[in-house]
This record gives sequence, C-alpha cells and structure tokens, in this order.
Amino acid sequence: MSTAAPAQIATAGFVRAARPSPLRGLRILLPFAALVAVWWMIKIGADLSDEVLVSPPRVWAAFTNLVAHGVLAEYASTSLWMIGFSALLSMLVGVPVGFAVGVNRYAARALEAFLRFLQGVSGIAWLPLAIIWFGFTHTTTLVVVIYTLIVPIIFNTMVGVRAIPESYVLALRSMGAGRLRLVTDVYLPGALPSIVVGFRLGMGYGWRALIAAEMLVRQGGLGDLIFGARTFNQIDRIIVGMIVIGCIYIIVDRLIVQPIENMTVARWGVLRK
Amino acid sequence: MTSAAIVHPSRAAHWQHAVWRMLPALPFLAVLLGWSLYWWAARPSAATLPPVGAVVQVIGELAGDGRLAQHMLASLWRLVLGAGLGIITGVVGGFLAGLYRPLAEFLNPLVVFFSALSGIIWLPLMIGWLGIGTALAVFLIWNTVFFIVFQNTVLGVQLVPELLEQGVSCLGAGRLEIIRSVILPGALPYVLTGIRSGLGFGWRALIAAELVGAPNGLGQMIFNAAEYHRSDIIIAGCIIIGTIAVTMDRWLLYPIERRTVQRWGLNADAEKEGM
Repeated sequence: MSTAAPAQIATAGFVRAARPSPLRGLRILLPFAALVAVWWMIKIGADLSDEVLVSPPRVWAAFTNLVAHGVLAEYASTSLWMIGFSALLSMLVGVPVGFAVGVNRYAARALEAFLRFLQGVSGIAWLPLAIIWFGFTHTTTLVVVIYTLIVPIIFNTMVGVRAIPESYVLALRSMGAGRLRLVTDVYLPGALPSIVVGFRLGMGYGWRALIAAEMLVRQGGLGDLIFGARTFNQIDRIIVGMIVIGCIYIIVDRLIVQPIENMTVARWGVLRK
Repeated sequence: MTSAAIVHPSRAAHWQHAVWRMLPALPFLAVLLGWSLYWWAARPSAATLPPVGAVVQVIGELAGDGRLAQHMLASLWRLVLGAGLGIITGVVGGFLAGLYRPLAEFLNPLVVFFSALSGIIWLPLMIGWLGIGTALAVFLIWNTVFFIVFQNTVLGVQLVPELLEQGVSCLGAGRLEIIRSVILPGALPYVLTGIRSGLGFGWRALIAAELVGAPNGLGQMIFNAAEYHRSDIIIAGCIIIGTIAVTMDRWLLYPIERRTVQRWGLNADAEKEGM
C-alpha cells in the first residue's frame, strides 16, 4: 500500500504547508497570468491563424457564449452525472466485494492475479466491444467508466483488508467480539485508507476514461464537446472545454476526495509514521 | 527424521500446496468455462460474442501473418519514446524544482492544473497540431508520464531529511556531493514510484490515443475491428493489452522499485507491504 502512497501525496500537490495569506491568491494566479502572456505572445509573434491557435480573448468569448446558451451546462452536467453515478455504484458494489474477497485468504489469493489483469486491460480497451454490444449509447460509456472505477476499488479494498495484522482480529475475538463487531471495529477502519487510495486512483483513471469514451460515443458530455469542436476546427471551444475539464477534476479531487482522505487518515490514523 | 519429513511432505500437505499454487488460475478458468457454456447454450452471433476457439485462432492468425507483431511494436515504440521523454524531463525538472524551492512554489499551481488535464484530454487540440500518428501518441504519453514523475521527484527531493544533508555537509561535502550521495538516492524510491504509476496511466493514454489518433498500434487494431464487428479481434486485443500491462508492471517495474526501496528507502518497513 505504501507503494501507492507517495504518488497519492504527490498528486495532492507537492508544496507542503501553504501559508494562508492574502498573497496566496496572487501566488496561484501569477503563474497562470504568465502562461496566458506567453500564449498570447506566441499567437501574435508567430502570427498563427485561428485554426491553429486562438487568442485568449477569443477563448473568453467562446466561454461566455457557451455559458449564455446553456450549452456548457448541458455538456458538463452529462459528464458529471456519468462520473457521479459511476463512482457511487462502484463504491456500493466494489467495497463489499473487496471485503468479501479480502477476509478469506483463499479468495484473495485466487482473485489477486485476475484483478491485476483486469486493471491492465484499461476500460477504454473494452470500448470497441461495448460499442458492438450496446451501440453508441450512454450505456456504453457507463460500462467503460464503471469498469475502470470498480477494479481499483475492489483491488485496494482487498489489499487493505489483507494488510490488517491478524493479531488485531484475534485480540478482538478473544474478547468475545462477533463478526459484525470485527467488521465495524477492525476491518472497516483498518481498510479505509486503502479504500480511499483505490477510489482516488479509480477517479483518476475513470475521469479520463469518461472523456475518452465521450469523444468516441458522441452522445454528449465534455469529451464530445471538445472532440466535436475539432471537426469544425473550433480551437476556442476546444480550449474552453479543456479548461472546464481540468477545473472540474481539481474541484472534485480537492473538495470531495481529498477531504475524505484527510479525514480517514486523521480519524483512524492507520497510516504508520 | 525431521529433514526427511520436509523433503517428503505428507500427501495432504502436498495437495494443499498444489491447490494454493493453482488458485490464481481459477478465475481465468471460470471465465472461460462461463463463456463456453453461455456460447453453447445461447449461440450468440459471432459478431456479438465469438466462441473461445475463435479468439485463440485469431490470435494465431494475427501472430502468424506478422500483423500482431507490427501493431505491438508500433504501440511499444510509442510507449518507450513517450515514457522515456516523460521520465527524463520529469526527473530533471523535478530535481531542479525540488532543489530550488521558489521555483517549485511558482510552478505548483500550473502543475496541479495540467496534471488534472493530462493525457487523452489533449487529443482534440493536438490532432490539429501534430496530425494523426506517432507524434500525437508520444505527446499524450509524455504529458501523462511527465507530471506524475515530476511531482513525485519534487516530493522525494523535498522529503529527504535535512539532518542527513547536514550530516554529510559536516563531514566536509560540497553541494554537488550532497546532491549526489544524499538527495539522489534519497529521492530514488519516490522517483521510481512515480515512474511506475506514470506508466500505468501512460499505457492507458496510449491505447485511448490509438483508438482514433494513429494509423496502427493495438488501440487502432481493436477500434478498427469494431467497424467490421470482429469481436474476436477485439477480445484478443484486450487480452494482449492486459498481458503487456501486467508483464511490464510485475516483472519489470515492481522488482526495480522493490530493490530500490530495500537498498535506499528511508523508511525501513516499506518493502514488505509493497503491492
């Protein structure tokens, strides 16, 4: 589990202890201002046509236009609904399955290699088959995204349960704890950090799988928005879509996933160190 | 006497050991069995679900006429190029940013933003700039691997305890010597973790990119097969994609990472819980 942990910390940003000060907002905005300046200079300096690169104001205009007509909200809500539904379903199914497999060492041994293999076949690789089975529909996208999310969740739940020292289980049992008590007092808190790691990894894979699937299925969603814009060389729309995709991912990760991770680690404190 | 007992274990123990060894094969066999039974009972059309035999046969055919090798080489070549570039730029950049804190603080917001954007999301924009082909796939893999390696390298460099640097410095080492003998090995486990998880994302990004953005490669092979409803080729492709990913991770990256953590890892108990 700790092999996954450094990457987890890293994706959470590598500058520790950001001091809360009025300058903080500036410190975040300054690099972006520099980036926009460079972009604008390239656009003007190299005299690129709008079919290659558009200027920042054009992107802003496209953004306001997409917002005003409700187009952006429609595409974004499709994507959010998809990822939200997939995440919920994957947790509801994946965690209990992971537990069931994890508490039995024979089941864990039997399924470990299989789950690793499934994790190797990325969800997007199943997309062509899903298209044959379900056509160009939302079902196809959902199947791909749920598959992508659920495998790391099952796997990490299983690993988390397996990693709990058996002496904890034996200690509680010798004090007369029943099966339910073991789950609530040992297995669940012990496996929770690992479950959250799996969920974050799944969301990282799943969000990208969703965008890729939307590009190919073309039934709405932000992937459809940016890939459709490609057909008409609407670079401004593509860049708006990319910025929105990035912002949504950061918001979901920072405001939902990361606080849960911090809470579990702080509350249960199973991570050693 | 006891040694004899170890050399010739009882039949029951031997049997138990064999079962334990064979357990990982069980789910694969169960899937094959379920698939065969379903096919035998429901007789779906070959376009929906081919029989197991057809998939084996198509792997043989693809391997026989060299098409499989061609697609695999195209994909692996892109992976090597993209991941190689991503690892080199990520490690070098990560060390610079890790050693020079103001640079890391300046870049942090950009890195957070662009790592959220990494991978397949660049495809529509980059198709216009790079066209369809190897350059596009290499860019997408580079983009995916770079940010993960970069972030982990910065973290690894920053997490090297200052005490160790001061210790070596007290013994008369200069800045370069400290970097070489303390920071480099100290950060290595993080760098390798970054490379390992970067390749996991990179391989996915590659397959996704090849679905539409390449003339050949495994991703193109399966996407092209969908147009002709050749689900036997798709399933064969998925099996090969999974096998390559598992092989890469288990037999190449995981052993390297484990050995590095054992040799240079700063927390002593890290290696025994590696997944």
